[in-house]
Amino acid sequence: MPFTDSEILETVRMFELETLDIRTVTLGINLLDCADPSLEATAEKVYAKIVHHARHLVATANAITADFGIPIVNKRIATTPIALVAAACGSRDIVPIARAMDAAARECGVDFIGGFTAYVYKGFSNADRALFESIPEALAQTERVCSSVALASTRAGINMDAIARFSEIVLETARLTADRGGLGCAKLVCFANAVEDNPFVAGAHIGIGEPETVVNVGVSGPGVVRSALERLGPEADLLAVAETIKRMAFKVTRMGELVGREAARRLGTTFGIVDISLAPTPALGDSVSDILELIGVDRTGAPGTTVALALLTDAVKKGGAMASSSVGGLSGAFIPVSEDSGMIEAVRVGALSLAKLEAMTSVCSVGLDMVAVPGDTPVATIFGIIADEMAIGMVNHKTTAVRIIPVPGKGPGETVEWGGLLGTAIVQDPGRFSCPRLFSRGGRVPAPIQSYRN
Amino acid sequence: MARRFLTADDVRQKGSGEIVVDAETIVTPQALETARAANIVIRTQAGAYSEPMPDRGPDAATAIRSLPNLPEPAADGDVGPSAVVTAVGKNRPGVLAELTGALAKAGVSVHDISQRVIEGYFHLILVVELDPGVSFGPVKQQLECLGGPDDYAVRVMHQRVFRFMHRV
Repeated sequence: MPFTDSEILETVRMFELETLDIRTVTLGINLLDCADPSLEATAEKVYAKIVHHARHLVATANAITADFGIPIVNKRIATTPIALVAAACGSRDIVPIARAMDAAARECGVDFIGGFTAYVYKGFSNADRALFESIPEALAQTERVCSSVALASTRAGINMDAIARFSEIVLETARLTADRGGLGCAKLVCFANAVEDNPFVAGAHIGIGEPETVVNVGVSGPGVVRSALERLGPEADLLAVAETIKRMAFKVTRMGELVGREAARRLGTTFGIVDISLAPTPALGDSVSDILELIGVDRTGAPGTTVALALLTDAVKKGGAMASSSVGGLSGAFIPVSEDSGMIEAVRVGALSLAKLEAMTSVCSVGLDMVAVPGDTPVATIFGIIADEMAIGMVNHKTTAVRIIPVPGKGPGETVEWGGLLGTAIVQDPGRFSCPRLFSRGGRVPAPIQSYRN
Repeated sequence: MARRFLTADDVRQKGSGEIVVDAETIVTPQALETARAANIVIRTQAGAYSEPMPDRGPDAATAIRSLPNLPEPAADGDVGPSAVVTAVGKNRPGVLAELTGALAKAGVSVHDISQRVIEGYFHLILVVELDPGVSFGPVKQQLECLGGPDDYAVRVMHQRVFRFMHRV
């Protein structure tokens, strides 16, 4: 037999019991040729080009699932940053383009489309400004469009003016989607050192260095790592823990590599990257938090959590890097609070504070993700939370992100249900001290020095 | 240079008659609608317009050539196009016969087999070889319909899944 019984049973167990799946197959589509002096024509071309390229995406992914027995949970679309596409029309309201993206996503049967995006880490073009101002209405009026903005980078520094405006936009988006628990903000994320081949929403988009069309794949697999650590037992030392995670990450990533190659071949396009992130879901056992607790902390958020997460993230990258010839995207461990049953529980029992979460983001792959705060949180506080996170990314040469949801009408400790993959959140207390003087200063934080790294 | 898109605005500007587009042009749904309403015919040099195949870009052409040449993990004793069938369930007479019967009917030969019964439950692994011309999808579907909720469950996976996961 080419494989041993235990190898075969291990694979079957991963899919049947440990919720192994491909989290997303994302088709990236360059929309720069949709630019037009007329806003209406731009929207028309955006719709037509997306549908033209992505019409068979869902059927293709489903056929791969049928042929290989590997579940592919989400099929998504990522586009060129719309601020670049919309620049030619000079319009200040580009919500019609978001509506066109939404309609195209619906036509193609994908649940989310990313790319309502602008890069403003150093300053605003007129089109960037138009995109910013259109975000609240775009997210309120559409169902599937996701928006992301790049507010900082290690090379450019932090655009604090952009963060200030973005913080207001977050609150405005929450207000416009108040009837849905501020859901609009779940589709809105800001980045430091944004990656331009990210297949995961809300930050999915393809940057200007990307091909005309490209297939990017995001894997999952917290359940697989968790079970392997359970089998390893509590006595094993941390080298054994790291080695176990590495091996599991290799196996999980290989599934992404297989599906990526196959999807690219069947769609007749370029295979971009496998994003080797451990991405949790609200499903029981599919939790990154559970892994941290298995490594040895009582609850996620307790002292020791940051080092456990550092070990996990690094081991995932090492295992994944061997498994795929084209690792990219965010690649590490996601810690979205509302989408991980263990994280929700950690917040509920008071183990995981916002401050600890921020510390964890210095070693995870992304940042403050799906964090709920009270709807009446002052804008300066939102600004401060985002700016701190951008600073961590800028100084550490890593991607950090903030997806924060001020939940209208809810206070600390209250629960909000978004349903589906977005999960449930307990509103966290951002504290009573804020930074209004920092907020009102404006300006930029200069790029950090690249030497003397201590 | 070829026109990449034809929009409703382009059609309105034309007003009447017919519009000849390149075969690669994407005509938007709004343009088609506007043309229909104004009795304008959109066609290509060759005849009636139909949506072109997607042009995936210059890298895609290279990718199509290079993708099949990416090294794949190889397994010892590889037997060509094959699948791994696993079944788990309560043991009873005839289970193996049902499975192998279905396999024979589908034109699939068994390459290797292993079965254990532990505490009344059987675990069955079959490595099967697909005859040329037999496609994987329908075979998988037929086999996975066998058994039932209180009986046994069958899972069929492509052999490449195991090669990718367990071999370097």
